Amino acid sequence: MSFETVLASIFSAAFIASVLRVSTPIILAALGGLLSELAGVINIALEGIMLGAAFAGVMVSAFAPQWFPGLPVWVFPWIGVLAGIITGIILAWLLAFFHLELGADIILAALGINILAAGGTVFLMYSITGDKGSTSTLASPAIPNIVIPFVNNIPFVGTLLNAENLTGYNVFTYVALIMTVLITIFLYKMPLGAHLRAVGENPDAAASVGINVKRVRYYALLASGVLAALGGLNLSMGYLTIFQANMTAGRGFIALAVIYLGNRNPIGTVIAALIFGAATSLGAQLGTLSVPPQLIEMIPPAVTVIALVIYNLRKRAQIVANARKFQERAEKA
Amino acid sequence: MPDGSAFYSTRQTDLIVKSKRKRFLLEFLRIILVVLIALGIGFIITLFVSDEPVAAFKALLTGPLPKISFEGGFHIKGINRFGNWMEESITLILLGLAVSIVFKAKQFSLGADGQLILGALAAGVVALYVDAPLPIHIGLALVAAMVAGFLWGLIPGILKAYIDVDEIVSTLMLNVIAIQFYQLVLVQWLRDPTAGFIGTPFFPKTAILPLVIPGTRVTIALFIMLASVFVVWFLMERTTFGYEIKVIGANRKFAEYGGVNTKRVIALSMAVSGIFAGLAGVHLSMGLLKRLTLNMSPGIGFEGIVVALLARNNPIGVLIAGLFYGYLRTGAQIMERSSDVTREVVLIIQAIIILLITAERLFPLFQEWWLRRKLSAELDSNVPEEEAAR
Repeated sequence: MSFETVLASIFSAAFIASVLRVSTPIILAALGGLLSELAGVINIALEGIMLGAAFAGVMVSAFAPQWFPGLPVWVFPWIGVLAGIITGIILAWLLAFFHLELGADIILAALGINILAAGGTVFLMYSITGDKGSTSTLASPAIPNIVIPFVNNIPFVGTLLNAENLTGYNVFTYVALIMTVLITIFLYKMPLGAHLRAVGENPDAAASVGINVKRVRYYALLASGVLAALGGLNLSMGYLTIFQANMTAGRGFIALAVIYLGNRNPIGTVIAALIFGAATSLGAQLGTLSVPPQLIEMIPPAVTVIALVIYNLRKRAQIVANARKFQERAEKA
Repeated sequence: MPDGSAFYSTRQTDLIVKSKRKRFLLEFLRIILVVLIALGIGFIITLFVSDEPVAAFKALLTGPLPKISFEGGFHIKGINRFGNWMEESITLILLGLAVSIVFKAKQFSLGADGQLILGALAAGVVALYVDAPLPIHIGLALVAAMVAGFLWGLIPGILKAYIDVDEIVSTLMLNVIAIQFYQLVLVQWLRDPTAGFIGTPFFPKTAILPLVIPGTRVTIALFIMLASVFVVWFLMERTTFGYEIKVIGANRKFAEYGGVNTKRVIALSMAVSGIFAGLAGVHLSMGLLKRLTLNMSPGIGFEGIVVALLARNNPIGVLIAGLFYGYLRTGAQIMERSSDVTREVVLIIQAIIILLITAERLFPLFQEWWLRRKLSAELDSNVPEEEAAR
């Protein structure tokens, strides 16, 4: 494949489709992380929650036909999704309980949760299937794609709206896009959203006007658990239909970086997640050239660090400029 | 600064020392209790999945010990298991030291993984491409690894200290970059094309750490580790730098008002921490594997966290906690080989230890509950008497 064909494939609807697909789990997890971050409780456990939910989804949906033999087939994957979400809530609750009730440092407790998820999933997988690598011996169902009707015959739009093979995007991709809108509305148009941001900005001030800081933080962490769980489920029931040991491969941490990169707001977060997705998709494209894949894998984390540096430098310059303005005004007065 | 005795009477100093000792003892008991609870939960989990849980747990808890037998003369069996324990512990203690330094300054740098891998890479490059007699060759490789770890720690350190870039995010990203860079160098330039897998050729003899315990892979890395424990202890307890780290960890604003150059100390604390992670990389590459391989240490950098937590960031404590956790990890490997339980059970135990140790209010809450129960029991038994007296 020549360089021109790579370029051509980047500026195509298929590339956009692949970026969307790769970004979906990161968008979901990052939106969850954003909620808890804005409430002043950073959630490093996104990685572990994704992993736990991905595992629970595959396991429960694979065994659901045995447990509930009477149900129609299409229900089983959704039972798995439900199990994954519950797992995400349990893990997030564990984190919230240890931090908010027992005074555990939220970063260390979250690292504990991550280790619990990494160890627990492999432990259970081996105990149940006898395999430590993946659940390839189980037949687990997939969450279906949504095909938008009537557009497939339109050249560019068809691919854009229904992905490369015109088979549609996964439900999770649509969930991610809907969640972005809902969370934006929630944060900036609803009272509880304002409370959440207030709690993160200044917990003492929030408490002084009667906001229950602890409860808001509970909600925020549990919500981040649900969203991270959806991200994890996307990996094991949408992307693939299998659970592999450590299949999140650091996506939870990337989601965390994406929040900062996106300037801690939902739209910015989604854009940052798409940049990550684009870098990964680009890697897959360039892999066909003789560019070593490791070099491309380095781009997203490097971009994150550089972006954080630029962001912080600008913030600092702004503070200095504001201080100077304030001083000038004070001198005039 | 005036001597403590100028402020306090002998009786008061006596009391202070006593209360300090008491607090230390309580802390120690608390950690032991946490470990026992975690092991207990681990055992309960094993009960659910194993057909032979007792045998499995026995392998976990006694596996790493060498067996002394007197049949047909005195000889020790299972010295390689004991060796595995030591090999594991050396890595964990060096990583624990690295983590304890940054944690002491209240910096949540999670960069040990990347520093370790680049330390190993630097040592590997020196081992393969520099030609020198034995002690000098090893010395050069050690210095290279320490410098690599130092520099890779300095980057997030400077970013955190001077422009306030969150160190958790930056170190996690730098870990990814380090691992990819390591694999890139290995695949593109260092790999041995004749090997069936991706790895460098074996290091020359002059760049392999000399063996200390025959029949194992325990090398002079053991002494490097012990020296590191001493150096970190000395650094923290006997130097201004260590004192400044501790003050910053206790209260950064106070340190600033007290004239500490907090930015410089924070940046350096992360860099110095990298030195020890780099040395762990030397132990892995020049001690254990004697070459570089593609997946040398998946995620081992994070294991230092539990060691530092168990040790309460105290270097001597790191030595003990590292030996304990190394024992547990080795036991888990033996358990996996000899029973139907996977070694991952030890990760679950580790997670429980981390959660319980960081849960600061857990034991006070328990204490309160217990006191209240005692109190209410006393009240209950007293009330009827008082009423009877009326």
